Amino acid sequence: MSFIVFIDLGGKMTSITKYITYTGSGIRKAIRSASQKGFDMIPQKEFLNSKVTDAINYIGKNFSSDKQRVALGVTALMTQPFIDAHNKKIDDETRRASVAKTIAKIIAGTATGFLIRYGCIKGIKALSQIPAKNVPKWKTIFTPQGITDNTTEAFQQYRNAMGTVLALGIMVFTNFLIDAPLTKLMTNAFIKKSEGKK
Amino acid sequence: MKLPSFLNNFKNYLYKNYGENPGTMLVHTGALGWVLSSLAQIFAVAVNDKITVEQKSFLIPQEIADAAINILSFYIVTSSVKNLSTKLVQTGKLTTKAIKTQLEHLGVAKEKIGSFDFNIGKLKEVPKDYKSFKNGVEVIASTLGSIASCNIITPILRNEYAAKRQKQIVAKLHKNDNGQPYKTYNMTDFQSHAYSNHGLKI
Repeated sequence: MSFIVFIDLGGKMTSITKYITYTGSGIRKAIRSASQKGFDMIPQKEFLNSKVTDAINYIGKNFSSDKQRVALGVTALMTQPFIDAHNKKIDDETRRASVAKTIAKIIAGTATGFLIRYGCIKGIKALSQIPAKNVPKWKTIFTPQGITDNTTEAFQQYRNAMGTVLALGIMVFTNFLIDAPLTKLMTNAFIKKSEGKK
Repeated sequence: MKLPSFLNNFKNYLYKNYGENPGTMLVHTGALGWVLSSLAQIFAVAVNDKITVEQKSFLIPQEIADAAINILSFYIVTSSVKNLSTKLVQTGKLTTKAIKTQLEHLGVAKEKIGSFDFNIGKLKEVPKDYKSFKNGVEVIASTLGSIASCNIITPILRNEYAAKRQKQIVAKLHKNDNGQPYKTYNMTDFQSHAYSNHGLKI
């Protein structure tokens, strides 16, 4: 194959392109074949129980970012302080402060993160009504153009997405105004408590 | 009331891209959340009057490195888990009884199920329950991916990085004016000097 390329370098450029395409498709085939082999190692799974299927469908429809934030916060409280408490690379005092800061950060971050996301998603829901005679214009400010049905799953997910984006914008400020002072306050309280336990 | 065109474009963009992909939305907004909170942390250090310029020259790159670890581990882990779950549902490897029955009715060959190129969503007639099942699996996968990256992988990586940085700073603080480290003694050396006839006296 390299011979053909060498000849073609002085002549037709199209042949070089063909060679590259050929090589490219060869690599693609190899990657695809390797992916398929790896994929085949995963066993097939069919959910037979309708309760499980219904639960999965329900989560897909109703589990928005505010609920995800709570799930992250709760699991964070179960793992992160434990990881920090077992960090042997730092001294005892730093470790205690690190655990206290982590717990405080999780509580402050989860509380504000959940409340702001929840509020924004609710707010967007109120301001994304379907245009109608009896609906004031300002209540349709976040309605995408051409939407006539507010019961579709896609529209509910759009509301969640828009609410989450708005919440993220607000949280740029609440990070300084609420999270940081609250984390500091709680960290000091937790350190004091852990020192009292020594 | 006429809205600015960018707002209309933005609304339509969100509707089109995330309306039918809640799992993708959770991954993207999660990553955006990390970016914004990291920017806030960097900004807080940059505008803090109590931190000297020399300290800022160290702390700002440190915050950027910390942010990079957070964002990259979140995005790589969460999107990988989510993409794998999408592929499993698209190819029919992960399915429900209802979807399987509908595929059989549609005459989809059994060999196609589990093939890397097969995509149920691209069939001429998509099974009724497919979309809601796919959304549910993607949301669960992206949440599990977020939990693994934010609550397990990132804290471990961050602790490793922070411990290294702390050692570097402590080593820097313990250097003399010539840039040479102060001579230190371990307990055995100290005892042999302290209790010898011509050694260190305290």
